[in-house]
Amino acid sequence: MSADTVKKFISFDALPGFLARVAETGTVYAPRREGGAVVYRPLKPGDAPELGARPTESCKHVVFPRSETLFSFDLKAERPALTESPEPGPAVVFGALSCDARGFLAFDPVYNGSGTGGSARDTYYLRRRSRTLLVVKACKSALNTCFCNWVGGGPASPQGADVLAVETEQGLVLDILSEQGAAFAESLPAASEAQAGAALAAVKAVEDSLPGAAELSAAPAALASLFSSAEFWKNESAHCLYCGACTYLCPTCYCFNITDESDGLSGVRLRSWDNCMSPLFTLEASGHNPRPNKADRLKNRVGHKFSYYPSLHAGRFSCCGCGRCIKSCPSSVDIRKIVLDAVKEAANV
Amino acid sequence: MSEQTGATAPRPTNGARNPYLPALARVIEVITETPTIKTFRVVLEDEQLMREFTFQPGQVGQLSMFGIGESTFVINSPPTRREYLQFSVMRAGENTTALHALQAGDTIGVRAPLGNSFPYDNMKGKDIVFIGGGIGMAPLRTLLLFMLDNRKDYGKIRLLYGARSPQDMAFSSELPDWLGRSDLECTLTIDREAEGWQHKVGLIPNVLLEMNPDPKNCVAITCGPPIMIKFTLQALEKLKFAPEQIYTTLEKRMKCGIGICGRCNIGGKYVCIDGPVFSMAELRAMPNEL
Amino acid sequence: MSIQDELKSAIKAALPDLSCVIGWGAGPEPLRAAPLFIRGEADLQNFSAGFLSVNNPALYLPALKGSKVGVVAKGCDARSVGQLATETLIIREEVHVIGYPCEGVIDVDKVAAALAGVCEPGEVGALREDGDNVALDTPKGEVRLAKKDIAADKCGRCIFPNAENADVFVGIRRAPTVVEDAYADIAAFEARGTEELKAFWEKEMSRCIRCYACRNACPLCVCRDHCIAASREPHWIGQTDDVPDKLFFQVIHAVHLSGRCTGCGECERACPLGIPVLKLKRALSRRVENLFGYKAGIATGTPPLLTFNIEESTIKERDW
Repeated sequence: MSADTVKKFISFDALPGFLARVAETGTVYAPRREGGAVVYRPLKPGDAPELGARPTESCKHVVFPRSETLFSFDLKAERPALTESPEPGPAVVFGALSCDARGFLAFDPVYNGSGTGGSARDTYYLRRRSRTLLVVKACKSALNTCFCNWVGGGPASPQGADVLAVETEQGLVLDILSEQGAAFAESLPAASEAQAGAALAAVKAVEDSLPGAAELSAAPAALASLFSSAEFWKNESAHCLYCGACTYLCPTCYCFNITDESDGLSGVRLRSWDNCMSPLFTLEASGHNPRPNKADRLKNRVGHKFSYYPSLHAGRFSCCGCGRCIKSCPSSVDIRKIVLDAVKEAANV
Repeated sequence: MSEQTGATAPRPTNGARNPYLPALARVIEVITETPTIKTFRVVLEDEQLMREFTFQPGQVGQLSMFGIGESTFVINSPPTRREYLQFSVMRAGENTTALHALQAGDTIGVRAPLGNSFPYDNMKGKDIVFIGGGIGMAPLRTLLLFMLDNRKDYGKIRLLYGARSPQDMAFSSELPDWLGRSDLECTLTIDREAEGWQHKVGLIPNVLLEMNPDPKNCVAITCGPPIMIKFTLQALEKLKFAPEQIYTTLEKRMKCGIGICGRCNIGGKYVCIDGPVFSMAELRAMPNEL
Repeated sequence: MSIQDELKSAIKAALPDLSCVIGWGAGPEPLRAAPLFIRGEADLQNFSAGFLSVNNPALYLPALKGSKVGVVAKGCDARSVGQLATETLIIREEVHVIGYPCEGVIDVDKVAAALAGVCEPGEVGALREDGDNVALDTPKGEVRLAKKDIAADKCGRCIFPNAENADVFVGIRRAPTVVEDAYADIAAFEARGTEELKAFWEKEMSRCIRCYACRNACPLCVCRDHCIAASREPHWIGQTDDVPDKLFFQVIHAVHLSGRCTGCGECERACPLGIPVLKLKRALSRRVENLFGYKAGIATGTPPLLTFNIEESTIKERDW
């Protein structure tokens, strides 16, 4: 957090009312506790966001819905009619984590064409992305599964955020990081010097509390060199269930499926989340599957994040270190361990 | 469209338009090639779009059956023949089964062109050997006809086309022409003896060794089922073709066709945008995950 | 000798004849263990069984069919082994079951609730077992919790704590929990009435992200690679984010498991969004137990509802 940016203040008491006013002009998504989970929900008037426990899921579905209509088709007339889905409205994510915001930075070069060697632009993603304001709430501590600082992030990283909210005793100090962020916070009073100072101190305290980061610069080459090490991947994947929890909770996993839903003469073409842990992901119509075993698939997941993606995108990992894949893995697969094991294994070969 | 000169050249752009929205196309002719392969000739319904449609040999398209889905097929008519776009479809899954039910006059969706193309500029002045197996003849057809339409640019052109049986030979209506041409040396082979068969009998790699093409100033282009490719590459190696002289086209399960959806990767390469055409040298540098 | 040491000896003794023994080892954080594949004696130093041994190692057995493997089993894990063997999804002789008296396992969601206002479970720096209690190091100091308060619900109604079908059993058998009606909670739940239940599932399933952790964590769900949820041919379930499509899968999953589900609860534990999907299975188990007197994983013989063919001749499916 920089001392030079504009800072606004809002008390915890005033927050629900303020967000209700914002919600009059667009959907406000905020963390809400439901059962044992914390999920991003459209905020209803009077609702307070859950700012205590970190969200179980990332907020990527606000920009990249779990399932969305690409177009609908109507085959009743002689000539089929295709209708594109309507433009989405504006949205605010209030209380995203800094890792969530950084997750979109992994999406962007793939979806805007800048990083795919061409310029096919994903219009559906881009229009939502440009209309979604990200208010990041700085973390006050790291979880056991957090490793944002291994991959270039931090608990109060401003990367990708329009506003960075820092909790102080009386309320939130809002660090304004973009024009859209300024418009969002326009009606709020400036933070006092004491409030801004408290926020800066809070950020420094959490940054100082983080355990040191592991060195991952050798990971891309190490993973590439282990591509044919079947035994390594068999061992690393032994306890994996190959479900999609890791990928669907991940802020950077961006793969999808395209399928049609039809009731005869009309229907929709959907784009829905898909994941490389599923055997069907690469199953060809002939029955051939280039990744028949879960070891092949976990290798692709880890390889994509820490080797293939960096090779295409200036060395950036496609991982924001949120640790949700570790925290919510039913069989305790730890991607940090796999990457570190790979670095060690490759050094020994 | 930008000029494509290599298998890894950047693919054409389609600007800011919705890349998932297919163009409507009318089926003008359906040709039953074999018991499992049908060829579809289609024209884009938007006349201007059809007039302005350009592509490079080797590029693919996504064919939509609305309500069923989309699958990827090479455009196997050459860019030099513009009255229609031709796709040959082997029946394998749900979408191809639906495509096989199409008749002239039906409407489908087309997203094309997608992917890279054969680096035919680099092949100018060289001898060419096409080695196709089964439905793998489709991507070769587009380049073969393109080269025949620009015949003076290339040296000796040879085609070795094999199928399991005479009934499994696609493009059979064109075979007499290919066999009769003086500017093309066409060899046909089937796996096992069949009554009335006038041509070679034997597996493609063995017939290729028999043909013994000289690798000097020559390019080999092969496509077919994985097992055939594997042994054909071994045969080409035996014939002293360098990896840089061999091209093939790959197939993967694809969805978006534009490098986003993430399923057709081989390491950091995406078959839908970095391929489907790869040189053997490029494939060697990629992880072995075919 | 402690139970840990006895288990290690039993594993060590069995290892030479087995390709691996599946147990538990250190996990990514203090409240969670990880399944451990013990392939050699060196792996034994990572082994421990106890309050954190939540994963059901029987899950991995069908994929390992054809090789001899060992599992360290809680009572509920052993029920899964029994059911898999009864259905010939594994060959019982290929599996070496090492049992021990289970004293219940942790439910991290309950720890989260108990720590509300203190910290998130992911901030716990260490867990120490101390008889019937655990001591947790939190950023705000030590917090002591009674194991029974943070144990999984299934442990509170456990009639099978001892892996009765074990090939080797170490330790002293525990008495099963005596509950008058193990399904009393389900009966009460069902009594809520249609409208309320509809609203309940509507709300719970709206959180579903379709990751299928529930399915893949289920030891009895053996067709997971050919699941109706992902099948395009025939196209059974839509790919929307809507509750009907999501609930459709859960209901089919529960029906496929009716009379087969041993109640190990891994489906519900695996759900990252905390959707109580075990309720659906237990509602059906309750009926099968009442109608047929069949307790899956304890009774032997074909489950009463298991009359389908693995490949239905009248349904068009992909050629497997």
